[in-house]
Amino acid sequence: MACVTRKWKQLLTGAVFGVTAFGSSAAMAGGQLTMLVWEGYADKSFVAPFEQESGCKVNAVYVGSNDEIVAKVMSGGGTADLISPSNDTTMRLINADAVSPVDTSKVPNMADFLPQFHNPKWLTKDGKVYGVSYGWGVIRIIADPAAVPASTDTLGFLWDPKYAGKLSVWDDIETIYMTSRYLGFKNTYDLSDEQLEQIKAKLIQMKPNIRKYWFTTGEMGTLMASGEVVGGTAWESTLVQLRNAGKKVLDIKPKEGRGAWSDSWMIVKGAETNACVYPWLNYVSSAKAQALAHKVTGFGYPNIKMVDNLDEKTKASYSELGMADPATLTNVDWWQPVKRRAKYLEIWNQVKAASN
Amino acid sequence: MTSSAYVAGQGQAGARSARRLERRRLLFWLLPPVAWFTVFMLIPYGMLLYTSLGHVDDMRFIPGFSFDNFIRVFTVDPYLGVIIKSARIGVMTAILSAIVAYPLAFYIAFHVRSARAKFLLYLLVIVPWWASYLVKAYAWKTILGSGGILNATLQGIGLTDGPVRLFLYNEFSVVLTLTYIFTPFAVLSIYAQLERIPTSLIEAARNLGADGWTIFRRIILPISVPGMVAGAIITFSLAFGDFVAPVLVGGPDSVMISNVVINLLGVAFDWPMAAAIGVVIIALGLLLISASGWLEEKTQTRF
Repeated sequence: MACVTRKWKQLLTGAVFGVTAFGSSAAMAGGQLTMLVWEGYADKSFVAPFEQESGCKVNAVYVGSNDEIVAKVMSGGGTADLISPSNDTTMRLINADAVSPVDTSKVPNMADFLPQFHNPKWLTKDGKVYGVSYGWGVIRIIADPAAVPASTDTLGFLWDPKYAGKLSVWDDIETIYMTSRYLGFKNTYDLSDEQLEQIKAKLIQMKPNIRKYWFTTGEMGTLMASGEVVGGTAWESTLVQLRNAGKKVLDIKPKEGRGAWSDSWMIVKGAETNACVYPWLNYVSSAKAQALAHKVTGFGYPNIKMVDNLDEKTKASYSELGMADPATLTNVDWWQPVKRRAKYLEIWNQVKAASN
Repeated sequence: MTSSAYVAGQGQAGARSARRLERRRLLFWLLPPVAWFTVFMLIPYGMLLYTSLGHVDDMRFIPGFSFDNFIRVFTVDPYLGVIIKSARIGVMTAILSAIVAYPLAFYIAFHVRSARAKFLLYLLVIVPWWASYLVKAYAWKTILGSGGILNATLQGIGLTDGPVRLFLYNEFSVVLTLTYIFTPFAVLSIYAQLERIPTSLIEAARNLGADGWTIFRRIILPISVPGMVAGAIITFSLAFGDFVAPVLVGGPDSVMISNVVINLLGVAFDWPMAAAIGVVIIALGLLLISASGWLEEKTQTRF
């Protein structure tokens, strides 16, 4: 952002969290870790045991968007040692030379990761791996089996007039990505204006079926549970919420593929010398720590052995979602950086503002 | 001569030094408001304007002096359309709030005799504000939903066969929720204006043979117009800038300008565009306040 804005922001963050003065230099001296992470990624339940074990003090600053991470890291000045950006942002940071490669030999717990998360393409450049995978999820296509046939294998049902006013999809540009997949575009994350117009037309065509664009995963659960809608898109937590409430829900696997996101721990350039960095990376990669984290966020985590640390009920729902099964990830479209995100958002806002 | 001139000169000097002292004191007293104005008004607005004239390239803000963002607000879909839609929702909320608020304000001002009862009613108008906005908006969800109280009642008394889905997730539910939440502001400002009407005015009218309806139409209503205008401005502004109701109870079309701004800040990281919309709305707001000030002045009755 603007230098002015950035300075103000730093001042504010500094005032609120008292981190500006510390940064990585203090971290080196006193065994401290400063991290810019999503809420739930430095929860007390698993941070406290780490602090006790390692003697490293964890300072977590929560962020609201990937851009916030980028803006803070790019501004330099040792704002953080570790960050947890998503896969649509990692390559930007790698290309900008803002993060350091990870010495995976110092993170032995990665051996238990699902194969897809050892060196995913969004973390790999010139044979080096720049991050340790963490929370992940697939954008699920869900439906009420009483209304939608279980054999459904395409996103096309979302446009079926049979479901007028009975569907809900995510209020997010992921819905643009999804429509791009449905229309068979191969360049979902780098669409031309013409393709975006086609997607817009297609989404406006879907609008009569939309009861509401959901905003939070819990909202989609409520919409389904109360019978306002019979299907749409969702996160894993929505499915768990509904199944725990005793509702049967289809987890449709469309042939067009599903969107997927994955966050990673990345080391801000210069912080690799901080003695607390690798102990943390290895700790959060352990099955035990990831099980604790799952309890907080409900996300998927890469460590396969995590399941053994879950209670029976959580284990069952996690397995039902195929979260420990590499096959779940065979037909997914991992998010990528979108250079023209402002344009995508404008199209999405046009769709929402259109009345028909 | 000399002595008097000397005295006069001394007097002048004394006056001058007194004036200087006065000026210094004035400066001292002016400083806090000027500082407040600078820190909380001038600098933020200046930053907003500065941001709106630049652009973002690859997540980095590039300062500039270009009106492109402003041109986009007025020419590219959906910004102007969404501003108009928000204004429409604001106007409907303001009108409905005034309609709902007027009888109550009237009742409190003229029909409640004891000060205690007045205070109690006054309190009841304000009490909903102790509950969170979110809770109240969610309450409307449970009232209007397909399995909600309203639908259950309608089906229970046999008026409808199935759930009526028109109550929730559309512009109607947004306006209804906003009206419910912001009506207290209309009540308070209309009531404040009605309280000012001297009882002697009404007694005089009655002595001259005017009936209740005539008194209301020719005395009370005209005098209460500024209160209605003031209430309408508040409810309009609050409804216009709302972003929670469209998210909670709005339908697929219910996007309002604040939602767009939030998206631009968060998802797109397009702060300049968001700032440009902010500047346009502030300009519209100033126009509106000037117009309403003029209207209030013009409709104010002097006794």
